[in-house]
Amino acid sequence: MTKIKLLFVALLIIILATSTFTACGGDVTSGDEEVTLYVGGSFSLTGAYAEDSAAVLAGFEDYIKYVNETKLLAPWRDTKFPKNVTLELVWRDDELKPDKALTIYDELKAKGMLLFRVSASQTAMPLMDTLMADNMGATTMVSGSYLLTPPKTIFTNYPLYTDELAAIADWFKANWHETRKPKVAYLTADSAPGRSIDIPEMEAYLVNAGFEFVGKQFVPMVPTSPPTTQLAWLKDNNVDLALGWMINPGSQPTIKEAVRLGMGPDLDYKITFGFAAPAHLAVFAPAMGELGNGVLVAGSYPPMSHNEVAGVAFCNELQTKYRPNNKVTHIMYLHGVIEAMLQIDALRTAMTTVDADNLTSKDVLEKGFYTIKNFSTGDITPLLTYGPNDPDGPDEVRIDQVQNGEVVFIGNYPAHHVYAK
Amino acid sequence: MSLPSGVFQQSYGQDMAIFRTKTQWLLLLAFLVLLFLCPLFASDRILTILTIMGISVISVLGLNILTGYCGQISLGQAGFMAAGGYISAVLTAKLGLSFWVALPTAGLGAGIIGIIFGLPSLKIKGFYLIMATVAAHFIIIWVILQFSGITGGANGLSAPRPAIGDFVFRSKGSYFYLTMVITCLAIYCAKNIVRTRVGRAFVAIRDNDLAAEVMGINLWVYKLTAFFLGCVFAGISGSLLVHYYSFASTDHFPFINSVWYLGMLIAGGMGSIAGSIFGVIALKLLDELVTFVGPFLSAVIAPQAAASIGLIMRGLVIALFLIFEPRGLAHRWELIKSYYRHWPFSH
Repeated sequence: MTKIKLLFVALLIIILATSTFTACGGDVTSGDEEVTLYVGGSFSLTGAYAEDSAAVLAGFEDYIKYVNETKLLAPWRDTKFPKNVTLELVWRDDELKPDKALTIYDELKAKGMLLFRVSASQTAMPLMDTLMADNMGATTMVSGSYLLTPPKTIFTNYPLYTDELAAIADWFKANWHETRKPKVAYLTADSAPGRSIDIPEMEAYLVNAGFEFVGKQFVPMVPTSPPTTQLAWLKDNNVDLALGWMINPGSQPTIKEAVRLGMGPDLDYKITFGFAAPAHLAVFAPAMGELGNGVLVAGSYPPMSHNEVAGVAFCNELQTKYRPNNKVTHIMYLHGVIEAMLQIDALRTAMTTVDADNLTSKDVLEKGFYTIKNFSTGDITPLLTYGPNDPDGPDEVRIDQVQNGEVVFIGNYPAHHVYAK
Repeated sequence: MSLPSGVFQQSYGQDMAIFRTKTQWLLLLAFLVLLFLCPLFASDRILTILTIMGISVISVLGLNILTGYCGQISLGQAGFMAAGGYISAVLTAKLGLSFWVALPTAGLGAGIIGIIFGLPSLKIKGFYLIMATVAAHFIIIWVILQFSGITGGANGLSAPRPAIGDFVFRSKGSYFYLTMVITCLAIYCAKNIVRTRVGRAFVAIRDNDLAAEVMGINLWVYKLTAFFLGCVFAGISGSLLVHYYSFASTDHFPFINSVWYLGMLIAGGMGSIAGSIFGVIALKLLDELVTFVGPFLSAVIAPQAAASIGLIMRGLVIALFLIFEPRGLAHRWELIKSYYRHWPFSH
């Protein structure tokens, strides 16, 4: 019996070790004619971003199928993808853990990936230095100001969170009719991206824009109880505009509690709440209905029902074609398609000057990502432009608002590049 | 520790030696040679895994001294790591000091912070002490975020890679060597600490603090010493981690990490230095296995369910160890060694 136990333990150790070592074996992917290039990277399929990341992954899957099948890039683009190149999606779940993101990066780099995807702030920070050292360009779904701290090889398709909130402040100020200065405060998530708005440049921008800056309140990223205290603080300090970074599991309970406390643009205590992009109204509005009236979100995408937007219509077509019985309703599906578009376009652009089988990550970064200018996502986002010192793609910020339970497009506002480090 | 048949000790010194036979020395030497040859044949990914394992081993060793040997259960290890990491990052990035100055300072700084948060252990124990150490974690993180002028706040702080003269520990291989040398030193120190009068006092306090006090052990001194030593290890571990990432962020020290460190200790075996190493290896390998099989599993089950399997697996492993092998892998290792020493006899 003891021997059997020992054998079992030995077998288990061998399986664990083998799977770990085999996972890092390099694959030969290139041939003379047919070349396979990898896209994808690290996704946070466990944790606070699980729902978002699953939708992003679905977007990646469908867009890659589309390009492989048709060799087209989008209905509004004439450029075609090289016929001899096949794209393969590779992904791993980093569980929002920095050390896992590092090992995933090493694994996929060894596999032959020439670009990468960084899932979140927690995983972006430890990878920034490594990505730069390896001349590896990466896409991401985060947009904190830390991404602007050199080195800069992580490219975002959202405006920076500070620029998103500055745009809301612009809109609010333009609609402010009282003679006194409006009072503004932060009501933001207690996490790296949530706190990334709390920088001197942002406060200076708000003060220069004519606001009285009152202070800041932090709520858990996913609150386990309504943030009554924080909201009451806003009330006590007569705050007119609360700005913050929140994901939907944070913004929804916050606004529900605010309504219960009588706080809102049409309620007893007049206040406007403005959030940065992860609090997508396309998710928020259907869940909240008229309770969410007046809430603004900057930097997001048009809802997936807006088929008049070319990019949205394209994404819906992709879903009809590749997942007719399993459609993804989450707005981050659009984000997945956009990220895949950017990765594939970086590869395609680099391949116009370097053969596919000689391509290096440096080529993809310098002749790919850095050369992307005025890139159209079919109006899902403003035009995207990247460069060595320009990792945040859009120069405009889209603002939407919940009105009568529906998402209403307010307008595009200029990105002020508030964070200038 | 049992010895092979026919080996007898003739002095107290021999009896207390860490390695008591030539075979043990040879095995250690072979292991070290193999370990330090790793960068020659291992991929970057394997080196990253081993480096992170080495850093985690240092932290878990500290927790083992505090919890496994002295019985002071702590869920603040990630917070103490953050303290050490930030001390090191600030000293190198803001003050321009060398990593070689910052590393021991990070250890000492975290140790002193550990003493402060260890003070409640003189009055409380068990569940209440756990809560005090949980509070320590959140207070440390709060302080780091408040002093954003020094620490960079939520935007974090870039931390330079260590260097000796012009040589920078930038490559995976070089950082692996750095980590492994420090890890080996930490293991040696930890092993020696627990063999000393201090270590024996820790064990006495763990087994029955009242009896220990009656025997003349100064609980006040030894409990705080345990907190200091445990946090010194955490501080050094945090410093190595921050410089490996080249970035300090509070998000790199989430509270859940403290839980996993305790889980590693349970899986490896509390009150055993080898257990600290086994526990880290077991849970980190499990992590990698889950990462590797995740995409394949998602083809069979829903992607999100496949992804969550990491959390489930880790929780399950810890629960299974608590039920079936509470003394951890270290105990299993001793049984295996004993079995092969006596083979073909059963006893």
